[in-house]
Amino acid sequence: MRPRRTIWPTRDGWWCLFVVTALGVAAINTGNNLLYLLVSLLLSLIIMSGILSEQSMRGLRLRELVPEDLHAGQPALFGTTITNRKRWLTSYSVTVQMLSPRATPPFIYVSRLAAGADRLVTWQETFPRRGRHRLAGVRVTTRFPFGFFVKAGRPLLRPEVIVFPRVTPVGPDALRELDALGTATTRRRGRGAHLYNLRGYRAGDDPRLIHWRSTAKTQALMVRETEAETTEDTRLVLVGAGRDPQALEAGLAHAASLATHLVRLGAGVELAGPGVAIGVGRGPAHLRRVLTALALYDPGVPQAVTAILPLEETGRMPLREIRVGLG
Amino acid sequence: MTALAAGLPGLRLVTHLLVTAGVASLLVAKLIGPVGALVVGFAVLLSWWHEGARRRGAVSPRLEWALVGVAAVAICLDLVYLTSSPLDAMVHLLLFLMLVRLFRCRRRRDLRDVGFLSFFLLIAASSATFSIGFLVLFVAFLVLGTWMLMLHHIAGEAERSGAIAAPTLAVGPGLLRSALFRVSLGAALATFVISGALFFVIPRVGQAMLPFRAQLGRMVTGFSDRVELGAFGEIETDKTVVMRVYFPQETLEPTELPNLRWRGIVFDRFDGRTWAVGRPDRVLVRRGAPGDFQVAAPRGHGPVVRHEIFLDPVGTDIVFAAPRLLRLELPAGVVTIDDMGSVSVPLGNARQHYVADSELELPSGLDPVSRPAGRRLSPSDRARFLELPPLSPRIPQLAQQVTAGSRDPYEAALRLTQHLSTKYSYTLALKRETTLEPLEEFLFVRRSGNCEYFAAALAVMLRTLDVPTRVVSGFQRGEWNPYGRYFMVRLSDAHAWVEAYFEGIGWVTLDPSPRMEASMAAGPSALALYLDAARMRWYRYVINWSLHDQLVVAQRVRHAGDPRLGLAWLRDWRPPTWLLGAVGLIAAPLAGWWLRRLVRGGPVRGRPVARLPRFYARALRALARRGLAPEPAETARQFCARAATAAPGCGEPLARLTTQYERARFGAATLSPAELAELERCVSLLEQRRP
Repeated sequence: MRPRRTIWPTRDGWWCLFVVTALGVAAINTGNNLLYLLVSLLLSLIIMSGILSEQSMRGLRLRELVPEDLHAGQPALFGTTITNRKRWLTSYSVTVQMLSPRATPPFIYVSRLAAGADRLVTWQETFPRRGRHRLAGVRVTTRFPFGFFVKAGRPLLRPEVIVFPRVTPVGPDALRELDALGTATTRRRGRGAHLYNLRGYRAGDDPRLIHWRSTAKTQALMVRETEAETTEDTRLVLVGAGRDPQALEAGLAHAASLATHLVRLGAGVELAGPGVAIGVGRGPAHLRRVLTALALYDPGVPQAVTAILPLEETGRMPLREIRVGLG
Repeated sequence: MTALAAGLPGLRLVTHLLVTAGVASLLVAKLIGPVGALVVGFAVLLSWWHEGARRRGAVSPRLEWALVGVAAVAICLDLVYLTSSPLDAMVHLLLFLMLVRLFRCRRRRDLRDVGFLSFFLLIAASSATFSIGFLVLFVAFLVLGTWMLMLHHIAGEAERSGAIAAPTLAVGPGLLRSALFRVSLGAALATFVISGALFFVIPRVGQAMLPFRAQLGRMVTGFSDRVELGAFGEIETDKTVVMRVYFPQETLEPTELPNLRWRGIVFDRFDGRTWAVGRPDRVLVRRGAPGDFQVAAPRGHGPVVRHEIFLDPVGTDIVFAAPRLLRLELPAGVVTIDDMGSVSVPLGNARQHYVADSELELPSGLDPVSRPAGRRLSPSDRARFLELPPLSPRIPQLAQQVTAGSRDPYEAALRLTQHLSTKYSYTLALKRETTLEPLEEFLFVRRSGNCEYFAAALAVMLRTLDVPTRVVSGFQRGEWNPYGRYFMVRLSDAHAWVEAYFEGIGWVTLDPSPRMEASMAAGPSALALYLDAARMRWYRYVINWSLHDQLVVAQRVRHAGDPRLGLAWLRDWRPPTWLLGAVGLIAAPLAGWWLRRLVRGGPVRGRPVARLPRFYARALRALARRGLAPEPAETARQFCARAATAAPGCGEPLARLTTQYERARFGAATLSPAELAELERCVSLLEQRRP
């Protein structure tokens, strides 16, 4: 079982222990009580060091702040709120140490945290690969009060996170391909060309949108609302066995980038491939589902083969298809 | 920019104060003289100025290195040629290193090193002093050292994390008003208490008695094997307290004890000017099984008193104690006892602490018949104690004249004693006025002198009357300190008196000096007595704290019988019933409060509640007795709505409880006493409304 606290002397602490030992030997050798007094002083400092450092660390609570979207190769900002839950006593000189070697900065120093106060500390970390990861966590340490010993608590904040594939801006070729596949309108307000609704004029409305015919009929200012334009709903089909890891990662990153681009344009996206079947959907929640599937995609694990029905058989036209090769 | 340049004036100030304390400790220990301390203090001040000048670019680094070089050469010469002991050499080296560090201080770690070197100065001082001033410096060092270490730590952490402003955050405005300073003061106080406890508890397994450099007392004239007449005059004006005699047993009032004086060395040979130890028959006595030395057997007459003696180094190996010494507890393996009762121990240069049992002599005016008979003198011893140098014939004539008509030698001795103490006066002005022998000049010309002259005159005149005598050198009783229940014996209390041998009686103490009356005039002030009592306690409980003391205290604590600890009453004390009841009444709620704190989820006032609050758990139990329990997927509000439908009377209190439950559990809200009371009322309503 992992101990609640670990203590280790610093360089100054080793010196202190050495001096205590040497003075103790000298005191025994000479029988000089003043040397015993100095030995007692150093021992007391060590004891007080333990008491004060424990007091500094006791009652500290950490609450994690993990970003919702993590993408491989892209830096993400992590944070923790450190709260001093002691009723009266201030915590001094506490360091939040990040256990991940990729975290910058590797530690954050909190010089003083009053009773009941909290403080947000943040750091940046980049995950090189997609998939399911457990955060290395953080550890609260202190050298307070004399810098003789480092007292450290258990590693905290180790939740499991899913790192999505790297998302990059969609390239010009892919954009041209998407445009060639056409756009569609959606039944929601936007800045398209098709009429969505007529409504009464409200202060701030663009005067060019006033629908004069209706205004004349109703004797009240009426304005036009137009439908938003969007890309057509798209099915992303993962193709290939994914034997080449680089090609696999590149393909998944491309698929994730396309899905992100399309969803941001308001299109519905469906994901299909070996062992993957995410139905068509829109919005950030659906995008997360797609990205999660891409993040956890593992061609090495035997998957149930998902039948990819031809578009004509789905009966959910219009739905266009983009095939993404996984190598 | 270094941390120093960024501005850590507090750390610099504390470090300089620490250095000052270290130098003061050297001064207290006499490892440097006042001039040396002034020079070092000036150098420390100069280093403060130098830091500012260096930052302004006013000091050339070459000049710094040149000064360091010159100082290094000087210290090498000092180490090789000048210093008298390794300790002095070490101290000089430490001072050199410390000052170099102060002048070449570039980084924060340099200040820390200076602080550590100051601590080594304190260590050096500890091996060369017993002064209570060390305690003052120890406390100062504790406070300053704690503060310095904390400031150093905070500054170091800030430096490590790259936050230069962090020390200001931690320290706050105003160095002395900062929270960290208060923490450091509290830590220093706690450290002092823990240090004290550890000091008394750490077993004293060491056997050595000598400090690293024994504190040499002055070679006090009068306590060597040869003493010239008038030598005491030099020390009888010195008011330094050199001996403290504590009476652990309080059965007798020490101030009323008869003939109390502290016997030291005994002289048997007189050459007209000098008393000397002629032919001593010395024996080595080893420590007995109980850890003490049996010096003599008791005669069964006179009170036996135990007294504890703390003797500062006076340059003699003589053991001073009340005559007649019977037993001695001394931390040494062997003592030397001569045939005149002088006891010496081969630790003359160290401070001594010993316990003695003595059988006090009866007053000299007592009827000789009631005096105990001593050992008979052998003819050779008799000749030895009757030996006389060539004397002026006037001296025996004076002796005959004073003792004319005496019935026996004892009465003659008393008459001579009386004559000297009344017809002659005591003085420390011992200027020679004639070319006569000193004794003749004292008896017939000057008619005044110090105790040595009186003792020598009595001893010589008694010898002319065929009474064996010897001169004893020691201390008179000293001043009684009521604050510590001990006698303070000063150098000026050095005294000489006579022991005369009478057939059938033995050795009898005779003191012809009228000095006691002369010295009773002025006593020390109450403050001086109190300070000396504090010094005595310092010697008793710190300097001389020993394994024996630890065992005694442990035994006394175990038996709770030490009246000084005030625990004797615990042995037989039986608490009355009413007290037990009162303690129970107070303890029960406290225990309940603690138990409540231990129960997880219990709402403790002033703290956020993280788990199922106890009031809500109680409400759930009350509703469960009615057959109402939350479904697995039911929220608290859903359950409240369902329960209100099923049991309409419970709706209102349960709604209040649910609201507070949500606040407390999910909002981490702190419930006030009024809210807790309201919740208690709601829970009671639910518990009362039985179906």
